[in-house]
Amino acid sequence: MRNRFDAQLFELNREIIEMGAMCEEAIAAAVKALSSGDIALAEKVKASGGAIDQMERDIEGRCMKLLLHQQPVARDLRLISAALKMITDMERIGDQAEDIAEIVTFLEGHTMEGMELIEEMARETIEMVTESVDAFVKKDVALAQKVIDQDDIVDDYFSKVKRGIITLIAENHTDGEFALDLLMIAKYFERIGDHATNIAEWVIYSVTGKHKEV
Amino acid sequence: MTSKIFKSILSVAIAVLLSSLVIIIGALYPYFGNVQESQLKDELSLAADATEQLGESYLQGLDYDRYRLTWVDADGTVLFDSHADTAAMESHADREEIKEALVSGNGSSTRQSSTLTEQTIYEATQLNDGSVLRISVSRATALVLVLGMLQPIAIVLVIAIALSAWLAHRMANKVVEPLNKLNLEKPMENEAYEELAPLLRRINAQHKEIKAQMQTLKRKQDEFEQITGNMKEALVLLDNRGRIISINPAARTLFGASASCIGEDFLTIDRKQNMRLALEHAKTQGHADFRAKENSREYQFDLSRIDSDGNSHGMVILAFDVTEQVNAEKHRQEFTANVSHELKTPLQSIIGSAELMENGIVKAEDVPRFVGHIRKEASRLVFLIDDIIRLSALDEGAEMPHENVSLKVLSEEICETLADAAKLKDVSLEVTGDDGVVNGVRRLLYDVVYNLCDNAIKYNNPGGSVKVTVAQKSSEVMLSVQDTGIGISPEHQDKVFERFYRVDKSHSKQSGGTGLGLSIVKHAVQYHHGKITVESELNKGTTITVLFDTRA
Repeated sequence: MRNRFDAQLFELNREIIEMGAMCEEAIAAAVKALSSGDIALAEKVKASGGAIDQMERDIEGRCMKLLLHQQPVARDLRLISAALKMITDMERIGDQAEDIAEIVTFLEGHTMEGMELIEEMARETIEMVTESVDAFVKKDVALAQKVIDQDDIVDDYFSKVKRGIITLIAENHTDGEFALDLLMIAKYFERIGDHATNIAEWVIYSVTGKHKEV
Repeated sequence: MTSKIFKSILSVAIAVLLSSLVIIIGALYPYFGNVQESQLKDELSLAADATEQLGESYLQGLDYDRYRLTWVDADGTVLFDSHADTAAMESHADREEIKEALVSGNGSSTRQSSTLTEQTIYEATQLNDGSVLRISVSRATALVLVLGMLQPIAIVLVIAIALSAWLAHRMANKVVEPLNKLNLEKPMENEAYEELAPLLRRINAQHKEIKAQMQTLKRKQDEFEQITGNMKEALVLLDNRGRIISINPAARTLFGASASCIGEDFLTIDRKQNMRLALEHAKTQGHADFRAKENSREYQFDLSRIDSDGNSHGMVILAFDVTEQVNAEKHRQEFTANVSHELKTPLQSIIGSAELMENGIVKAEDVPRFVGHIRKEASRLVFLIDDIIRLSALDEGAEMPHENVSLKVLSEEICETLADAAKLKDVSLEVTGDDGVVNGVRRLLYDVVYNLCDNAIKYNNPGGSVKVTVAQKSSEVMLSVQDTGIGISPEHQDKVFERFYRVDKSHSKQSGGTGLGLSIVKHAVQYHHGKITVESELNKGTTITVLFDTRA
């Protein structure tokens, strides 16, 4: 019985890693599409969203089955409940990667030239997502804490980017729609950072049993 | 063990207790019964005699503590009873002992009371007048006796239980003590019960067997680890569920995994998309491979499913560094492209000149110039092809005849050949030093010195000089060619030995040459297991030093 349970937990662990990896790839590809203006790549990212959603449903089903059939306790229960929360955040990351890709398809040749800040922000965000998945993979509380701390940096980037866009509009009277798109993208990155932070918090919960003080 | 011993001791104690109880009661009860009976008979005969003489008055004067007397008439009517009212009593004629007495003069019987707790013994005898005198006494039955003894028996039982428990505990300890003291690591050195000897021998044999198996296992493990540990290729073994069974140091470095990753899911150390897809593919198709960049080097990953008896047992992941191979491929492609370009340029030139002459555009007086041009370009082609052939011969590493060659003599010879070219560029040539005898391939050594000197003249400034120095040392011969030319900047110094590499692309036509000279030098030096170094400063000059090992 326990053996079977262990096998199912192992599968669950693997599926979460896989889903995490898919999110990492989606956001990395979205950023690549953004910086190179590669619309074909952006379309591909948009298409990959379905796979992430399917994965979320699969993991959800597996978690429910485990909860009902095995009535897990202690660490196992924490892993499963954390998994249920994490996949929601992962799915959101996937959605936002999709959204960024969608904006890329609207940019029509506008590139990120002069918007190094957004690229830096993107790099920081990708790092956060990668590290939050890494923290889950290695059950590494210290790394998870690092991700949580990193969120402030991404938040700072967002306000910097916002100011940058304001000056851009003030100085150049650039295309207003483009400026808004940029702001949206920055906001998406900021949100992705928040989701990565959530994942990191659930990693800490699944390892230590303590979720951040509310 | 204690409980087993306890149970046996206790059951023995209870059995002894019960059986002695049965024996004692069984033997004593009838004995005392008989004694009582004969006493009763004596009393009866006494009473009968007295009654015959004294009648009822005697009976009434007796003390009836111990027994009961009943006087019954021959017809069964009770004449006297010591314990009951005679009037209320029914006829006793049907009583067994009375009937018996009426017939034979004496009768006796025993009757149980209705509750079974008492037994009444009756003795009857017939008096001379035909009436019957009966005496009876009641006594407790054996059952009542036993019941009465229950309490002491219970006490004895409790004592027996306590005693057996204590004894059992002590005995168990005593029996087990030598067993506990057994040294199972060295079974044959124990002095325990001889009954244990077969067990100990068996343990000893198993010890030896396990040790031997462990050694074999460890040796195999060591062998495996030695092999995989020293492999440059990364090797990972996975079980059928994708967990890491074995990972060698090269793979740990490649995937950045710690030693504790054994038993973990492989995805925990590499979850990249191409790896996941390859794993999936290998799982269904049996094999997958892909190339990927890791740590800025190019790796080829090969995944194979391990099958046995139609079942999948896991996966082997082998990764090897193909950076060199990829670079070599790139070089080869570049080389091919360069060769075609270098071959095409002079041919185009020849075709162009020939076409001009064919169409009669060239004036008669210009024809020699054009023909000269064609000849020059054609000979350039021949040079180029010669160089390529030489290089490919060196690449193939074909065996060539070795002989003792004096580098100084060789250098002087070459300088004579190049004297005209040097004079044209206003460069002085000088050869100094020892004989410098090297055992090698004369033609290759000639190429080395020729190309070095040729370059030194070609890339020299007017009025400059070229110094060739040969030095014989104890185990090596040094040849250095020093010029006062334009020099090579540091970023180009490593690349000048590459095929078709030119520091200044625009310069090439002017100075001629094929771009293969230094490449040939490098290969020829390598062929002789020599070393080549470049020292150069821009606009000051270049010194190329070649060291030949003469020990080999």
